[in-house]
Amino acid sequence: MNTLPTPPRPHGTGEQAPILPDFQRLRSVVEFCRFARDNGLDSGLKAVIDSVRAVGIVDHERLDAFRHALRATLCTSKEEWDLFDQLFDAFWYGARMDRLRKPISPSGGTTPNASNSQRIQLMLGHPASRESQATEEKRNAISGASTIDRLSKVDFSEVPQDDLAELELLSERLLRRMSFRLSRRRKLSHVRARIDLRRTIRAGAAHGGEFIDLRYKDRRSQAPRLVILLDVSDSMNPYSLFLFRFAYALGTHFHRVSCFLFSTRLVDVTETLKASDLAKALRALSGITTFWAGGTKIGSSLQEFNRRFGPRMGSTNTCVLILSDGWDTGEPDALVAELKTLKQRSKKLIWLNPLLGLARYEPVTRGMRAALPYIDVFAPAHNLQSLLELEKSLKSKTTR
Amino acid sequence: MTISAAEAPPGGFGEIDEFIEGFERFGYVADPALATAIYLLIRLPKPLLIEGHAGVGKTEVAKVLASFLGTELIRLQCYEGLDAHSALYEWNYQKQLLAIKVREKSDKPIEELERHIFGNDFLLTRPLLRSILCESSSPVLLIDEVDRADEAFEAFLLEILSEFQVTIPELGTIKAKRIPHVILTSNSTRELSDALKRRCLYHWIEYPTLEKEIQIVRVRLPKFDCELSSRAVRFVQLVRGMNLSKPPGIAETLDLSQALVLLKKNQLDPGTAEQILGCILKSAEDLAQIRREGVKNLLSRITP
Repeated sequence: MNTLPTPPRPHGTGEQAPILPDFQRLRSVVEFCRFARDNGLDSGLKAVIDSVRAVGIVDHERLDAFRHALRATLCTSKEEWDLFDQLFDAFWYGARMDRLRKPISPSGGTTPNASNSQRIQLMLGHPASRESQATEEKRNAISGASTIDRLSKVDFSEVPQDDLAELELLSERLLRRMSFRLSRRRKLSHVRARIDLRRTIRAGAAHGGEFIDLRYKDRRSQAPRLVILLDVSDSMNPYSLFLFRFAYALGTHFHRVSCFLFSTRLVDVTETLKASDLAKALRALSGITTFWAGGTKIGSSLQEFNRRFGPRMGSTNTCVLILSDGWDTGEPDALVAELKTLKQRSKKLIWLNPLLGLARYEPVTRGMRAALPYIDVFAPAHNLQSLLELEKSLKSKTTR
Repeated sequence: MTISAAEAPPGGFGEIDEFIEGFERFGYVADPALATAIYLLIRLPKPLLIEGHAGVGKTEVAKVLASFLGTELIRLQCYEGLDAHSALYEWNYQKQLLAIKVREKSDKPIEELERHIFGNDFLLTRPLLRSILCESSSPVLLIDEVDRADEAFEAFLLEILSEFQVTIPELGTIKAKRIPHVILTSNSTRELSDALKRRCLYHWIEYPTLEKEIQIVRVRLPKFDCELSSRAVRFVQLVRGMNLSKPPGIAETLDLSQALVLLKKNQLDPGTAEQILGCILKSAEDLAQIRREGVKNLLSRITP
C-alpha cells in the first residue's frame, strides 16, 4: 500500500497536524469508531478500546499502519473488511461513499414503492400488535372446535375479511405448538450407550474407589438444520404472508434455521426471524424487502443460494424447504441443475406448493415437472392444516 | 481511558517491516496489512482470526510465525464433535484405576486418595493446556478451521481467548505463564459467533494479485524458471476466475509449479497442462467445465 500524501484530518477539527496530541488522537479515533458503527461496522466498546490501544502502539507517521491497525481491531467479517476502506476514506479524507447509510434517521434508506408499503401495512396490521385487550378477547373467543376446524381448512387466498384476524391468531398458536413439539422430540431421544470412564472414576473416588454409580455417555443430539426458501413473487401474493408466519414459527423452535426470500433474486432474512415477536419481525422485514411481488426466476435464485450459502450448509443434517408455486420465467434446465446440487447437499428436499390445494391442479408447468424427480416430499401449503401436516415430514428427519 | 506513552511505547513501523522481511525469509509473502495484524497480535496481545478462501495460506501464517519467532507451534485441528477433553486435558483413567486398586487396602483417608489421583501425574495435557503451561517462551497456538467445530466448543474457547487461562474443575484455574500467540483460521463455512469474533483481531486474506502470486512462487521455488512460473500463475489465475465450484488457491499454484519442475518441463503447452490439470482442479464438474472450454483455448488467452 502506498503512503498517502496528506496526513489524516479528523472531522470537526481544522488542524492539519501530522501527529495528533494524545487526547486529540484518542478523540478522533473514538469518533471514527462511532462513525463506523453508524455505517454498518458492528464494533462494540471493547473493539473501540482495542483500536485506541492498537493505534497507540503502531508508528504514528505511517498512515497505512494506522489504517491496518484500525481495520484489524474493528472488523469481524469479510463484509466489514470490504466496507472498511470506504469508511476510512470517507471519514479521514472526506471521500464519497457509494452506500453511506444515514445514522438512524427514519427517512433514510430506500423508500419502498407503493405496493410494497401497502403489503407492509397489511403485515403490520397484525392484531397482536394492536391494543392487548381486544386481542385478549379474540383469543378467548377462538376456542370453538368447529371454528378451528373450519379456519384451518380455508384456502389462504380466500380468507373472508372477517376471519383474517382470527386465522392469524390461530395460526400463530398452532404453528408455535407444532414447532415446539418438533424441538421436544429431539431432546427426548436418549440412548444409554457407552460408559463415561471420566465421570465414573470421578464418582468412584468419593466411594473409596468402588464404582457404585456408573456414568454414561450420550450421543450428542444433533440439532437439525432447516433452510427455508420462500417465493414472494406476484403469483404467490395471497400466500406469502402466511408462509412467512410459518417460517417465523419454525424459526422460534428450531435451533438453526436459515430463511431466504426470493423472486428474481435472493435475500437473506435469517436475522429477521430472530426477532423476539412476530410484529417486530414483520417490521424489520419491511426495511429489507424492496422486491415484493414481481416475476420469478427460481433457477437463478437457487443458483445464487447454492453459490453463496451452499458450502455453509454442511451436508449431513440439513432439510431444505422450498415454498413456491413453481411458476418460473427462467429456463427449466437451470432449475433442474440447481435442484440437483441442492439435493446433493441436503438430507431432505421438501417443496410445498400452495396450488396443490386446488382440486384440478396438476404440476404441469415445465419448471415444476422437471423439478419433481429431485423432491423428496411434494405437498400442498394452501391452508393452515396443510402446514401443520408438515410436522410428519420434519419429524421423520429428526429421528432418522 | 487515555493512552500513556509508558503503557505502550510506540513501536516503530520498522518492526512491522521486520515481520515482512522475516516472513519472506521463511517463504511467506506477507502484505503490510497482515504484518500489522501480526504485530498487534503480539503487542496487544490478542488472538487473531484469519479468514479466507481455501488454499490462500491461512494455516501457513501460524507455521511461519512460529519459525520466525523460534518458538514451538502447538496445533489444534478442529472437527465436528471436538470436545474439551480432546482439546484441553484428559485424566489418565487406566493409571487412576491402578492407583485406586493399589491403595485399596491402605487406611489413608479418602480425601488423600482423591488428591493423589487427580494430581499432575495423572493429567494428560492436550494442545490448549500445553500452550498455557509452556514455560520457556510464548508458543504459537494455532486453532485450525475453527468453523468446523460445534458452536458449543466455540463458547468453550472464549475463556482461553480473552483471559489466556483455562479452568479445570479438579485443579482450579491455570493462568498462562507465557501468553501464547493465538491464531485462529476459518474457511467461513459457517458464521462464527459474535462473542468469539469480538475477542479477536480480524484479517481477511484475498486471492493474491498477479504480481504477488508470481512473487510467492519465486520465493517458494527459487530455482523455477521465471518465465514459466509467470505463465503458470497466469494460467491458474485465469482458471480461478471461471466460476468453478472449487477455485484453485495458492497451494494449487504451487503444486502445479512443483509438478512442472518434477516433470522437467520447460514450457506450459496444452499437452502438459492437460496432464497436470489434477493439480489445480479437485472436482469432476470443474474438470469437465475446463475441458469444455478447452485447455488449448485457455492457454492461448494468456498474454505471453
